[in-house]
Amino acid sequence: MKCVLVATEGAEVLFYWMDKEFEESLRLKFGQSECEGAGQLPTLEDQLSTLLAPVIISSMTMLEKLSDTYTCFSTENGNYLYVLHLFGECLFIAINGDRTEGEGDLRQKLCVLKYLFEVHFGLVTVDGQIIRKELRPPDLEQRVQVWEHFQSLLWTYSHLREQEQCFAVEAVERLIHPQLCKLCIEALERHVIQAINTSPKRAGEEALHAFLLVHSKLLAFYSSHSASSLRPADLLALILLVQDLYPSESTAEDNDTQETDSFSPAEEYFTPAPSPGEQSSGSTVWLEEGTPPTDASQVQVAEDTLQTLVPHSPGPSSPRRIFLDTSVKENYCPMVPHTMYCLPLWPGINMVVLTKGPNTPLALVLYQLLDGFSLLEKKLKEGQEVGSTLRSHPLMGDLRQRMDKFVKSRGGQELQSTWLEFKTKAFSRSEPGSSWELLQACRRVKRQLCTIYRLSFLAAAPGRGGPHLPQHLQDRVQTLMQEKLTDWKDFLLVKSRRNVTMVSYLEDFPGLVHFIYVDRTTGQMVAPSLSSSERTSSELGKGPLATFVRTKVWALIRLARRYLQKGYTTLLFREGDFYCSYFLWFENEMGYKLQIIDVPVLSDDAAPVGMLGGDYYRKLLRYYSKGHPAEAVRCHELLALHLSVIPVDVLVQQAGELARRLGEASHVPLL
Amino acid sequence: MAASDSTETKSASWWSYFFLYDGSKVKGEGDPTRAGICYFYPSQTLLDQQELLCGQIAGVVHCISDISGSPLTFVRLRKLKFAIKVDGDYLWVLGCAVELPDGSCKQLLDQLIGVFTFYNGPVSLAYESGSREELSAGWDTFIEQILSNTSDLHRIFNSLWNLDRTKVEPLLLLKAALILQTCQRSRHVLAGCILYKGLIVSTQLPPSLTAKVLFHPAAPRDQGPPPGGDALQEGGAALPPDVQIRPVFVTEEEAVSLYEFPGEPVTSTPASAARLQEPSAQHPPKGWSTPAPKENNPGHTEAMAWGLATTPEPTTPNTVWPDGSGENGHWCGRDWESVGPAKPRHSARGRGPGLGRALVKEPGLSWGKEELDLSEIHIPEAQETETSSGYSAFPHVRAPEGAGPGCEESGSDSGSPEPKSPKAPPVGTAIGGLLPPSAPEMLMQNGAQEWLGHLSGDSSQAPVPGEDHLLARTSGPLPACCSDSGQTGTELPVGGQGEEQRDDGGPESCPGPGPKCDSGSADPPGDDLSADRTDSRSAPASSVGLVRMNLYTHCVKGLVLSLLAEEPLLGDDAAIEEVYHGSLASLNGLEVHLQETLPQDQAAPAPPGRAYSFTHYDRIQNVLTANLPQVATAQDRRFLQAVSLMHSDFAQLPTLYEVTVRNASTAVYACCNPVQETYFQQLAPVARGSGFPSPQDSAFGLPGKARQKLLKHGVNLL
Repeated sequence: MKCVLVATEGAEVLFYWMDKEFEESLRLKFGQSECEGAGQLPTLEDQLSTLLAPVIISSMTMLEKLSDTYTCFSTENGNYLYVLHLFGECLFIAINGDRTEGEGDLRQKLCVLKYLFEVHFGLVTVDGQIIRKELRPPDLEQRVQVWEHFQSLLWTYSHLREQEQCFAVEAVERLIHPQLCKLCIEALERHVIQAINTSPKRAGEEALHAFLLVHSKLLAFYSSHSASSLRPADLLALILLVQDLYPSESTAEDNDTQETDSFSPAEEYFTPAPSPGEQSSGSTVWLEEGTPPTDASQVQVAEDTLQTLVPHSPGPSSPRRIFLDTSVKENYCPMVPHTMYCLPLWPGINMVVLTKGPNTPLALVLYQLLDGFSLLEKKLKEGQEVGSTLRSHPLMGDLRQRMDKFVKSRGGQELQSTWLEFKTKAFSRSEPGSSWELLQACRRVKRQLCTIYRLSFLAAAPGRGGPHLPQHLQDRVQTLMQEKLTDWKDFLLVKSRRNVTMVSYLEDFPGLVHFIYVDRTTGQMVAPSLSSSERTSSELGKGPLATFVRTKVWALIRLARRYLQKGYTTLLFREGDFYCSYFLWFENEMGYKLQIIDVPVLSDDAAPVGMLGGDYYRKLLRYYSKGHPAEAVRCHELLALHLSVIPVDVLVQQAGELARRLGEASHVPLL
Repeated sequence: MAASDSTETKSASWWSYFFLYDGSKVKGEGDPTRAGICYFYPSQTLLDQQELLCGQIAGVVHCISDISGSPLTFVRLRKLKFAIKVDGDYLWVLGCAVELPDGSCKQLLDQLIGVFTFYNGPVSLAYESGSREELSAGWDTFIEQILSNTSDLHRIFNSLWNLDRTKVEPLLLLKAALILQTCQRSRHVLAGCILYKGLIVSTQLPPSLTAKVLFHPAAPRDQGPPPGGDALQEGGAALPPDVQIRPVFVTEEEAVSLYEFPGEPVTSTPASAARLQEPSAQHPPKGWSTPAPKENNPGHTEAMAWGLATTPEPTTPNTVWPDGSGENGHWCGRDWESVGPAKPRHSARGRGPGLGRALVKEPGLSWGKEELDLSEIHIPEAQETETSSGYSAFPHVRAPEGAGPGCEESGSDSGSPEPKSPKAPPVGTAIGGLLPPSAPEMLMQNGAQEWLGHLSGDSSQAPVPGEDHLLARTSGPLPACCSDSGQTGTELPVGGQGEEQRDDGGPESCPGPGPKCDSGSADPPGDDLSADRTDSRSAPASSVGLVRMNLYTHCVKGLVLSLLAEEPLLGDDAAIEEVYHGSLASLNGLEVHLQETLPQDQAAPAPPGRAYSFTHYDRIQNVLTANLPQVATAQDRRFLQAVSLMHSDFAQLPTLYEVTVRNASTAVYACCNPVQETYFQQLAPVARGSGFPSPQDSAFGLPGKARQKLLKHGVNLL
């Protein structure tokens, strides 16, 4: 019984996602009759909006009248849990009616969804009006495609969070094999990045990053010299996208109807394009089977025809527009447009290439302007700066200069007139506009800028016919990489399942059952494999024991997060027959342990601790670094599960020794 | 940590709003929201704001309950959280600061509703029969009392305000317990508790009832208890000075526990003996029966809470008759030796199961010792089974025989015929219909039985006719006390009918409409009526029955004796006199002693040399022991923050035993088991570590320290 809804202040549905049970409950509520016929999807949407409109409207009323709004509802015995989160002008609601998710889980889901919107739409998310157009295209068919895409992503995310340790702790898991890693890095450098960037036919695209994934684990990563580093959160989001495109074994296993080759590249099977009438059934099938429909419902056709056929939702292997954070020459710039090429090598092994187009500088300029106007809007809202104070504000001078320059170079009548209007209101000495008028003018300018951003990066996205690497170039790097790795293929697939084994630790750490070690600076984690899937067995075997340990580990992660959110960096608890411990600490580059400080205590409705939604750890590192300006600070976490017969002092000693050993190993450069 | 009786109201920033909203008053489009607001705290809130909150929350409650199919109980905003209880058309809402744990907020609301219902009956009827102003005044005093007495820790645990027993001479606690036992011997009296300056000295009641008695509007008569009480008092026969008797409403669950282990926590040799023998035979009712394990552990009497202060002593003799059944002579001998503890057991038993005097018309007789002895002689056989199977045997006896006359026989034969049929289906009683199975059912039947007993001939208790009239007026609507107000539609007519019946029935029916109002309300044995009732009740499963009782309170300066008694007490002047005179001297003595012993300033700050903070929470009795000062220091606030987090987790994760948390400034250790939670923090400045796992980190030494240091507070963590 799960549901996610994104709605505007007026209760217009911008997006929804629900599982079969929830859909069934709606059906029961509204009666069978309404659900019949072709218009099922709109009906579901309308049903949701009808049901939740009172809550949405009340939530806006409270915000207006009390400057406070709902964040959480729960019904008797916690049977139903509702989590609400307001992002800008959009209200996100997550519902759970089967007690499988807590408040933190639901809030995390909402934050991840919002982050996925940002990855797909970039700065367009800044403006409520324009994002509305993207999320809810007037054309019904397009809307279905957009929603199905995000529904599929949410599904994949929920699944990975339950199955994969890396998504549970939100860090990238590496495949530990230094030799192979080195080989791959060389191949990525020479045969991928350099091959692309030296090709005359690359259509202005510049390859920045390339990496190899085996299932959801990172095998090797290479960035070109000119590229800024990729944020771990972005990397994890990309892994999520790849997993969504090519679900790996563990994901597919849940699905009884699919065969082993379900994760093979989509070329291998063909499903007719859904006709409008069938779309609804397509979505039902997906909900039933727990498999994302994206790859199944898309026609695998040549690139050019695809774009004319389904302009909004590119096929799996076609390039995608995504927006990632960069820092160019000390200049931080979020949501810079990139193009992502996901090239499947074999089932379960994928290569991803990220390129940037020639118009990247425009994104930087637009970001700076939007940032300036957003700041201004905030000040105007607070009612601080009016008239002369505003004019003399240093921010204003700078903003004006930049904007003048931008308008001059860009042209565009509408932009020009909007900017002129704003200038008259803001700078005219004779008749300065009121604060409210200024606010409106400021919003209009912002909207204009967003529109330009949207036109430049979304309308001309590679999936919609924008510039991208020619197919043969993609094919070439794909083949090259396949050749390089062909001998390793089977090894890699096994290795990814049994990456790190607990066996190597048992002797030195008797009583230790499991651990997860995370380097929060690089956003990477190491943990013994913990697979409870049917096909592959871990050391714990398959079945009940593995599942039991797994639930313990997941519970530890949840509790550790909860206590970290409330400012506790060390947690030790005994539950049943286990001791669970959690430690967070800071080190400098040399591995010297730095003194712990009081970390911020966050409210229950704050973005949860994690990386995908809100990037807590990056903020934490920044917070800590304020007190250590001179040195580079690293942040580590260790989660350990011991048998409770182990005395606490032995346990702590073991944890320390384990952390030391893992720390040394992680200093070996793998990238 | 004992809360002080200081009058100063602490800043109540944690308590933002409390309101009661009647949705039935706002049905049409044109109805103003304000019409539905029964009570709103703080009252100075602008009406617009009140309407906003009531309207919005009522709307959201409706909407969410509709989608979820289960009632909305909790709403959190960014800066505020609301616990919500839907009761038919009524909506109870308590708004607290976000810092308060969700669970505590919900508990507090339940407590508030519980107290209101205890004194006023079901909300719908209370507001129908009473004026809003009067009820609001009652609320104001009540809330004021809570706000001024609730410390940070009490807020988290919703614990009762108890006397710090380390500051009192143990003998005084014993004395208090003995007073209660003595009172228990009196007719109608079931159990009670003694408070001193708003703190519990000794109680025989389950925690939920103690809480309700504790919140008793402090000043006696003039403070204007809710209307029902007033009327009764004025109408009733002249009560002894400083004594007040008012009708109260006990939930079925509580009523069962009152009857199930009569007088137990304090006394009871036979009960304890039975327990020792066959612990499994007992279905410990939630709450207060759990002292059992403690009793068996005489070495740790210190650790016991106030209520048990006297238990160890009687426990010893228990061992004398491990299988006390059948050994009548011995039994009685014991009884005579230890007068205090043992007797009440009998009287209680006699009353509880309804087999006792009331039924066999003994009340009219004197309560001589011979009398007691007599009854003892043939009862003991039933003792063991009685305690575990309750009065279940009773309906059995009764069933074939129908009403009144049979009771006499049962009085003598009591449980013996078929003691092993606790779940015997209700035969011939009309009341069984909606009741939950087992215990409450038994009670119902029993209650009916007893009531029948009264009806059948106990005219000696009949009060003056004038009172009858009054009673009928004030309590008329109350009998229909199944609180689900959604049901009131169906209930009320029945109540009305009952009233008529009563009027017809003349004086005999009025004094004792029975301890339970649903059966007793006016349910004469007439078949037609009973059938009626069964119908009306079978409807909502959610309805919770309430049982009418009398609350006898006797104030001696700061000391308050509160006794819960069956309803006939009010009309039974002789019984009142007996209770009064039986306890007056001892109460006076206790008051003087307490005043002398207790430190004048309970609010005295903790000793400056305090090296650690701790909180020990008794989950069963719902009381706290702690050493936090009145004014929290920074370190104390960190402690409180950790405690609220961990307390919530203990409540949610049943297999969680021990937790140690650590941040840069402090480390707190907590452990729990099914009966208690303990929290410990060391106050010595902690050397700041790195957070890296290190055995040198003092946080990991906390469990050992806690074990060692808390022993002297009577907390045993070994």
